[in-house]
Amino acid sequence: MTHLNPIVLFFYFAAAAGISMFSMNPVIQIFSLAGALSFFFLRNAGKRTGMHLPLFLLALLAALLNPLFQHNGATVLFVLNGNPVTKEACIYGAVTALMLLATLYWFRSFSELMTSDKILYLFGRISPKIALLLSMAMRYIPLFGAQLKKTAQTQKAMGYFKEDNAMDRIRGYMRVFSVTVTWALESGIVTADSMEARGYGEGKRSSFAVFRFYRKDGFYLMLIGALFLISVYGLATEAVAFQYYPTFGAQAPSFISTLTYIAYIMLAFLPTAAEAGEKIKWKYLQSKI
Amino acid sequence: MEILTIENLSFYYPMNQTPTLKNLSFSVEEGEFLTVCGATGSGKSTLLRLLKKELAPIGERKGEILLEGSPIAEVNSASEIGYVMQHPEQQIVTDKVWHELAFGLENRNLPQNEIRRRVAEMASYFGMEDLFFRDTSSLSGGQKQLLNLASVMVMNPKILLLDEPTAQLDPIAASDFIATLHKLHREFSLTVILIEHRLEEVMPLSDRLLILENGELFAFEPPKEAVKKLENRADLLLSMPCAVRVSHALSGNGKKEVLPLTVREGREWIRRTYRNKIQTLSEEMLPKRKKVLEWDRVFFRYEKNGADILSNLCFSVCEGECFCILGGNGAGKSTMLGVTSGLLKPYSGTVRLFGKKLKEYTNGSLYKQNLAYLPQDVTTVFLRNTVRDEFEDSDVSLADFPYDFSSLLEKHPYDLSGGERQLVALAKILAAEPKILLLDEPTKGLDAYAKAEIIAVLHALKEKNVTVIAVTHDTEFSAEIADRVALFFRGELISSDTPKKFFSENRFYTTPVSRMTRGYYENTVTVSEAVSLCLANGEKGEKE
Amino acid sequence: MIVIRNASARRILRMVLPFVLIPAIVALGIFAVESQYHTLVSFLVAVCSILLFLCGFEKKKIGSRRLVIVAVMIALSVVGRMFPIIKPVTAFAVLSGMFLGSEAGFLVGSFSALISNFYFGQGPWTPFQMLAWGLIGFFAGILAFPLKRSRLFLYFYGILAAVLFSLLMDVWSAVWLAGEFLPSLYVAKLLTSLPHTALYAVSNVIFLILFAKPFSEKLGRIKIKYGV
Repeated sequence: MTHLNPIVLFFYFAAAAGISMFSMNPVIQIFSLAGALSFFFLRNAGKRTGMHLPLFLLALLAALLNPLFQHNGATVLFVLNGNPVTKEACIYGAVTALMLLATLYWFRSFSELMTSDKILYLFGRISPKIALLLSMAMRYIPLFGAQLKKTAQTQKAMGYFKEDNAMDRIRGYMRVFSVTVTWALESGIVTADSMEARGYGEGKRSSFAVFRFYRKDGFYLMLIGALFLISVYGLATEAVAFQYYPTFGAQAPSFISTLTYIAYIMLAFLPTAAEAGEKIKWKYLQSKI
Repeated sequence: MEILTIENLSFYYPMNQTPTLKNLSFSVEEGEFLTVCGATGSGKSTLLRLLKKELAPIGERKGEILLEGSPIAEVNSASEIGYVMQHPEQQIVTDKVWHELAFGLENRNLPQNEIRRRVAEMASYFGMEDLFFRDTSSLSGGQKQLLNLASVMVMNPKILLLDEPTAQLDPIAASDFIATLHKLHREFSLTVILIEHRLEEVMPLSDRLLILENGELFAFEPPKEAVKKLENRADLLLSMPCAVRVSHALSGNGKKEVLPLTVREGREWIRRTYRNKIQTLSEEMLPKRKKVLEWDRVFFRYEKNGADILSNLCFSVCEGECFCILGGNGAGKSTMLGVTSGLLKPYSGTVRLFGKKLKEYTNGSLYKQNLAYLPQDVTTVFLRNTVRDEFEDSDVSLADFPYDFSSLLEKHPYDLSGGERQLVALAKILAAEPKILLLDEPTKGLDAYAKAEIIAVLHALKEKNVTVIAVTHDTEFSAEIADRVALFFRGELISSDTPKKFFSENRFYTTPVSRMTRGYYENTVTVSEAVSLCLANGEKGEKE
Repeated sequence: MIVIRNASARRILRMVLPFVLIPAIVALGIFAVESQYHTLVSFLVAVCSILLFLCGFEKKKIGSRRLVIVAVMIALSVVGRMFPIIKPVTAFAVLSGMFLGSEAGFLVGSFSALISNFYFGQGPWTPFQMLAWGLIGFFAGILAFPLKRSRLFLYFYGILAAVLFSLLMDVWSAVWLAGEFLPSLYVAKLLTSLPHTALYAVSNVIFLILFAKPFSEKLGRIKIKYGV
């Protein structure tokens, strides 16, 4: 997956997470979450991946919020502070929680895969100027960070920050930040000169990208597109519609609903399958050597 | 064939009655390597910027500049004329190496495939394949400057202008850069106009030397001819290679022979001309003094699992001593200064200042009167809008400084020239009257004049018994100023000695004069020493 | 592509667009669309209004120095967001809008959000942050004249920006957490984020107090020295 063209990657995440965000279908949410989790943990197997608990707590909160604020629904479970808590709202809350969790994990993988240069490439397709602006900002961030740190150290060695006086320290930091702003604007002028010297602003520019579009990208794009369209068709024709209020209920299964679910399952597990396939291929190639 | 013709060029900055450039006329041949030199304010940068219309300063220009016969304003200057500036960092526009290389071609709206080919070609010519996908901010200074050169060359310019491109680089990176420049010039007969003060290396490559003085042409001829004009011009000679300085100081008036330019020529010239009966000058021994700074088995690393940057560092510095530390990049010299100034904490070992551990100086008491640190990048010293404001809080009156900078008081610190900035930053550090001064590359980016001034200031401080520890790449500077010189290698001090012994025993980390006189005279490391020895020995063929 | 020839009409349209159109779409999305689609609609609105703006930006000619200064401002506010204590994104968006025009204000606000989220983590909230901060900068550009004239109004705007930010971001958090827009939940969310909003307003004002004057000096210096 990592080697696909960013457009394909972006389209994939938009399709998989988009459908998940778009529909309040519990079946789709379950598969979406399963797909998102399996891909995330397959990619990060054995690595320390940071926080998971807060995400699940957030989902739990979402599951609780809906019944507390939404009082529609026919089946009243109990009454809290004079407000009815209904079974339907509870189900809706649970589905929301699934959706939330799925989206969060899709975005975590998205953040890992879509590094800043890929995002830049996407913006470059829309607007070369924005891509340049972003690239320049990205280039400045480490430069300014380093300058800020250097200045703070120099000033400290000149006796500026007293260790026991918090106000003194904050004032010192502010001065350092302020002078870094001046420095940054000043050095920006040199950059502008360097841009003009290399012909910026003389007319239309193109946007060069190292990412190329290979046949493999086309294949994936078509596959994702097809699965996406089938899923959307199923959702739009309400073949897989769920009803929450006043009572919870689902459409009877049909050919289209089965097709829709299969399409979405394939979509949700596509990256997991691709990733697993690659891993197995490598193992195989290694064992041959 | 003439590629660049300049006719009666004069230039006035706005609100300035005196011209910065006065009636310049000269022409540059195609494939020529032209080196421009002159003091700060002689108009070199103004001249170079006028040749590139996008960078031309605002002001009144008279006269003509022609590129291949057509006025510069009508030329497609973005691609025909390449320009590389001094600061490696600030010229870089984008965040990735590949994008930086492609930037100029993007501006010309070239199709993807052509950009891809030309970028790939340039990256392989410059040996940047491994850096191709890197962030530009992760490159070293030398790599950054080579990237700047490459991203100009990718536009395929006819003429390349460079304004002190190596001033911010260490000597090895600078040699690399100049070697690449030479290769480009040789292989593609590219026309090069270079402002440079590392003449030692550039002089032999130059076809002609253009010396500017107060906006006028002082000399414009091949180096051998140009240096003959420098007789009795101590100010201009200061920036010349040491062979030129030695030979001028000696042969003085009226000698019409060919003067040496390089170390090798200088060596032959001395052997040919002077006797060597007296081989060495007597050396004064330093009296024993009390130790003020002591390092005892200091270890330091930045990350828990990283490598040791300082390992088992043991040495001491005496009161009133000037101690210079040389060494390659990444040897840990700057880290050592960081530890000494208390900014970085060693994980093992102690540093003692006046017999007291650094840890025991709490709450900034280490700084101000005790210890002061001048960083490599002196812009980080300034916080205010004018030089006067910078000295607002200090109780020291401006007259007490060892030098005068009252003419700069109203200026913005960022508007000062490199040399002025260094002196003002040093003054701000000295305002606290420290007993110990830590200097990180105090001569970086300075021309010979500014360097001479810094040397004079440091001599004056020595008189006041201030202890100076300087980390530097500049061997000539340390030979002039140091009481002891040490070599830093992989986090340790390898050897330390008086500059005479240190430089005459080293083969690589040594001054050009030492290389020039080695084997003929001993312990001769500075120009003045070489001159006095030659004079003491007398010329060959003279009566003794 | 529709091209409007009259310059002043174009200007008015540009102002009307974010003022009227976006809130209208948001309102429409919330009240007219079935509750299941609230998440999607609010998300799409945010994304589309940003894209709309960016397309307008691409059409414009922008000098290298202006572009560099906008990039510098974005980078500074991202660096500031990473530094302890300092959280200057709003203030920087406001100042950019004030001194460099509403377009610059929008760019600085929205891209500071996008880029700093490369470090803090991207999520479905990114477009909302981009939009909220972008609009804060954009309006600062439109109100540049009164903002420059009255210091008090500038500080008031700093407080207003914190409120606006909270109003917009809480639409998203409410919709996202509940899967639909529930007015009572929205109000509850606004109330619970009140302390945060207040803190934010205070820090905005402090930042504006600290930076308004030096910033106009610094930009003025650049303008005199280099003629931006």
